[in-house]
Amino acid sequence: MSSSSSPRGFALSSRLVHWVMAVLILAMLGLGLFIAHSSTTHYVTLLHLHLITGVSLLVLVIVRLLNRFVVPTPELPTDLTTPMRLGAIGAHLALYGLMIAQPLVGWAMLSAGGYPITLGGSVTLPPLIAPDPALWANLRQLHTILAYSFIAVILLHIVAALFHGLIRRDHVLSSMVSGK
Amino acid sequence: MSQTSSSRLLRWGCVLLPPALLAAGFAWAAGLFSPHRLSTARFMTVLENGGGAAPGFRRAHSKGLCVLGQFDASGAMTAYSSASVFSQSHIPVTGRLALAPPFPHIVDGPGIVRSMALRLQPDHAQEWRTTMNDPPLQPMRDIQDAFASFSANQRDPVTHKPDPRLAKAYEAARPWLKTAYAANRAHVMSSDFANDTFNSLDSFQVTNAQGENHTVRWSMVPLSPPDAPVRPEDAHDPNVLFTHAIASLHQQPLRWNLVVTIANPSDPVNDPSQPWAPTDRTITAGTLTLHSSASEDNSPCGGMVFDPTILPSGLSLSGDPLPALRSAVYMRSFVKRSGEAKDPSSITPAMTQPH
Ligand code: HEM
Ligand code: HEM
Ligand code: HEM
Repeated sequence: MSSSSSPRGFALSSRLVHWVMAVLILAMLGLGLFIAHSSTTHYVTLLHLHLITGVSLLVLVIVRLLNRFVVPTPELPTDLTTPMRLGAIGAHLALYGLMIAQPLVGWAMLSAGGYPITLGGSVTLPPLIAPDPALWANLRQLHTILAYSFIAVILLHIVAALFHGLIRRDHVLSSMVSGK
Repeated sequence: MSQTSSSRLLRWGCVLLPPALLAAGFAWAAGLFSPHRLSTARFMTVLENGGGAAPGFRRAHSKGLCVLGQFDASGAMTAYSSASVFSQSHIPVTGRLALAPPFPHIVDGPGIVRSMALRLQPDHAQEWRTTMNDPPLQPMRDIQDAFASFSANQRDPVTHKPDPRLAKAYEAARPWLKTAYAANRAHVMSSDFANDTFNSLDSFQVTNAQGENHTVRWSMVPLSPPDAPVRPEDAHDPNVLFTHAIASLHQQPLRWNLVVTIANPSDPVNDPSQPWAPTDRTITAGTLTLHSSASEDNSPCGGMVFDPTILPSGLSLSGDPLPALRSAVYMRSFVKRSGEAKDPSSITPAMTQPH
């Protein structure tokens, strides 16, 4: 069972930020894929929604990291095999890496392309880097590669979470759902 | 035994079904189940089949010249729009004069659509990018027309030429484009870039400080006298229009008035193929002065995109369906060419130097 210093479930703040970000990230992946693969008269509106949500997610991941260092998190079940334990830690690290990198790459790529990033009215996000067309092409490709990697890791993460809850029937799924 | 194994199967189903459905949702968003959905990639394919997809060059308006200058607002548009570009003077301008076909080394000639793209960058205020062509109307009214039109211009893989019957069929199937074709055929081309009128074709919305909206189109109307007629020794210059523009700019600045047309309530504001009433109110918003030129090979106008949806606050999209489409397709063209090694342009840096 969990040691005395670590709680059994995730604190409310951790669960809240996990689920809010999960919904937003899934929506962003779907939205990004849709705008990149359809010609629609709503393109500009949808891309704007993508930018605003992407920047909000960047703010949220900072909040999440701060929360993670302040609020204690439960430990993985002690009876997990080493590969499963490493897999879980690796997947969580990858998810954090992608949550930080994807919006930064989005911001950097539009800066490299010389696009102004308007948040609303006359509020503009300052460019992260100077215009550089070759870098723009590479970062745009990186945004796609990261997006597909994100999808792959999230799918694995969901399979693992449901495996814990329905097959192993340990406390991992409930630790993030109900905090128990 | 069988009960536990079937409940085990059920539980595995509950583990795998949700991620499988999610993956299917992503595949749908990416168009995997909808091969007929129009997409940026399909637009790029038909555009590239219409030209050579020359590496490093724009996938349309491929042959061009960078121009530098300034814009001085008259102030008359401030009643309609709060955008700084309509109230400031000495606004730095980077632009590009181009020929519309997707061929970077096309021989200049009369009858080829010409264009002017501009980026107005006021100090401490949002920039404005705008693109204009010289025909009076756009022979397409929506995204479907645009796709059909570029599809009809693809080159036959055997003859390497577009099939003129396809363009005829495109026109014949669209009685709503009759007016646009008639107007464009009746349009008399000017001799040069310097004395050409360039039109936004698409409509946009302006908003003033009181929050009132109007739909507008705009044109750059030339103030410069026409250049001298083509001299016999220039007749064989494949870049004659550009050499003229460069030579004129060495002699004196070239100037245009930005004339904004305010739609009246009965104008077809969401259809770039239809004319507006000739009695519509027009406002001279300011004057564009171009004072020098540069090759796109060593000027910033090469490595940037004139996306017509980059608008300062006070200017926004109207219900015209084309600018959104263009934004996505221009981005893809800009990504592709930025990742490719580029051959020298027809208009080289040496050609833009004074002799
Ligand atoms: C967690 C945050 C984000 C996620 C999950 C995400 C996801 C995606 C996805 C899946 C695509 C489609 C990629 C493709 O199929 O090629 C995409 C495209 C794009 N994203 Fe993001 N993105 C995020 C943040 C951002 C941010 C912050 C920006 C800009 C500030 C941005 C700008 C763009 C742009 C410009 C495109 C290209 C659209 C097009 O090709 O027409 N993204 N994004
Ligand atoms: C869609 C985006 C998602 C992301 C980016 C994400 C990210 C993460 C991360 C980084 C953790 C580690 C704990 C933390 O520091 O917050 C975590 C834990 C967890 N997630 Fe997710 N998650 C997502 C979706 C989901 C979904 C859909 C489920 C449920 C099916 C889920 C179930 C869990 C569970 C049960 C844990 C606890 C694992 C443990 O005890 O260490 N997650 N998630
Ligand atoms: C409504 C009228 C349109 C106007 C006034 C217009 C005007 C222009 C102009 C002036 C340029 C050249 C910009 C430069 O010199 O850098 C340009 C480029 C281009 N146009 Fe259009 N255009 C129109 C419609 C379209 C449509 C419907 C499409 C296809 C969907 C299209 C595809 C392109 C592409 C791919 C480029 C090259 C973009 C780049 O790589 O920078 N245009 N257009």
